[in-house]
Amino acid sequence: MSSVGIEALGVYGGAAYVDVQELCAHRGLDIQRFENLMMREKSVALPCEDPVSFAVNAARPLVDRLSESERDRIEMIVTCTESGIDFGKSLSTYVHAHLGLQKACRLFEVKQACYSGTAGLQMAVNFILSGTAPGAKALVIATDISRFALADKGAIEEWAYSEPSSGAGAVAMLVSDAPHLFRIDVGAHGNHAFEVMDTCRPGPDTEAGDADLSLMAYLECCEHAFRDYARRVEGADFRDTFHYLAFHTPFGGMVKGAHRHLMRRLCKAASSDIEADFTRRMAASLVYGQRVGNTAGASVFLALAGIIDTADIGGPQRVGLFSYGSGCCSEFFSGVVPVDAPGRLKDAGIAAGLDRRYRLSMGEYDAILGSTETVRFGTRDTQLLPETMPGIGNGVGGTPRLVLEAIAGYHRKYRWI
Amino acid sequence: MEPDTVFATLLAQIRDVVPELGAHAFARSDSMADLGVNSIERSEVLLLTLDALGLKVSPIAFHGARNIGELSDLIHAKLAA
Repeated sequence: MSSVGIEALGVYGGAAYVDVQELCAHRGLDIQRFENLMMREKSVALPCEDPVSFAVNAARPLVDRLSESERDRIEMIVTCTESGIDFGKSLSTYVHAHLGLQKACRLFEVKQACYSGTAGLQMAVNFILSGTAPGAKALVIATDISRFALADKGAIEEWAYSEPSSGAGAVAMLVSDAPHLFRIDVGAHGNHAFEVMDTCRPGPDTEAGDADLSLMAYLECCEHAFRDYARRVEGADFRDTFHYLAFHTPFGGMVKGAHRHLMRRLCKAASSDIEADFTRRMAASLVYGQRVGNTAGASVFLALAGIIDTADIGGPQRVGLFSYGSGCCSEFFSGVVPVDAPGRLKDAGIAAGLDRRYRLSMGEYDAILGSTETVRFGTRDTQLLPETMPGIGNGVGGTPRLVLEAIAGYHRKYRWI
Repeated sequence: MEPDTVFATLLAQIRDVVPELGAHAFARSDSMADLGVNSIERSEVLLLTLDALGLKVSPIAFHGARNIGELSDLIHAKLAA
């Protein structure tokens, strides 16, 4: 069978972050109540950062590492997001331009809440498997930021439930027939989808929904998507088939709850076994998510990156992935991390990139949320001053950082600094 | 199945998931959220209750109950359907 999967991966977790515990205290939220979030930090998009700059900053280092002939084989760019900036023009057009890629290329965007990254990946995987362009590569970038219009105190209170976990981040994946980091188990997938109004983004800077309903939908989906996977994959067993598990991570506590649900429902496991299994198979998947917050479409791949970077990869390791997007659609799929993947992913410097972020004070954070500089959906003209923004000069580990500098006649202008 | 049996099953799951509430004297008007049961625990209570009663229905069907009495009534109605 043909080999296909993730050849290279890049992560961008922003230029700045806030400490979640400090944020909870600042908002007067019950710290106890938020302990089950299992979150430490959350990335904050600065006014000069948008889903395009996040996507480009995630992809640039991996594109730079390719030879010119390899770069010229990128024949498809899929941006995956629920933070779009235009109803017609996709983010991928800007991404393509600022990565300087060749023009014989498909450019488009996909949306299905936090499931978008998996939709994009599966589309790319099937493009490679189709064999219609032998040797071609596809660049799939899941990029999302949470930026809401906190015009007044009421808006802040309304956002209180999800603010501590709403993050920002992008994961870029080069998909090809040379899957150095993650070889997809071809045909091994399961889906569960149905219409439900759990969470949505009904306006450009607003989020609405019902957290309890969303949790229920997530739990129903992880069970039934796995059952569909097991129907297709002979002998699949939730406890024994996968060395590690990476789930969409709205917050760590949700993943822990879903794992407990699956272990009880599918394996009839005892509580003590469940805790040990979670630590052994899932703790590594949370290391990066705990530092950036919910990155929506990117989070399941950030979880995979955490496993490759921090878990024990003593031999080829099978990883089960679960992706969920509100509304809703979900997928359970799997693949194998080769033994040399950790050495290759080191080049991406993910932890070092997160360490370089600037820690915002609560005053700086509130100023950003209420800033008139924040670019809203549909802005026609504006000028930004990136150099004045906290943390923007910290660099992206030797490569320049792309920032949004202006909008003129709806056209976004970016600059490398 | 009697409504009281459904209610008792629900309480047993709450006490299993949140042992701190073991000694609490529950009333039908109690809301799990007001008792400090977090959203993940609430989901778990519902899923375990459905399991214990052998009810194979999407948990989403029980969304909207304002207290444990209403939740118990919704489950009982599904069992009877």
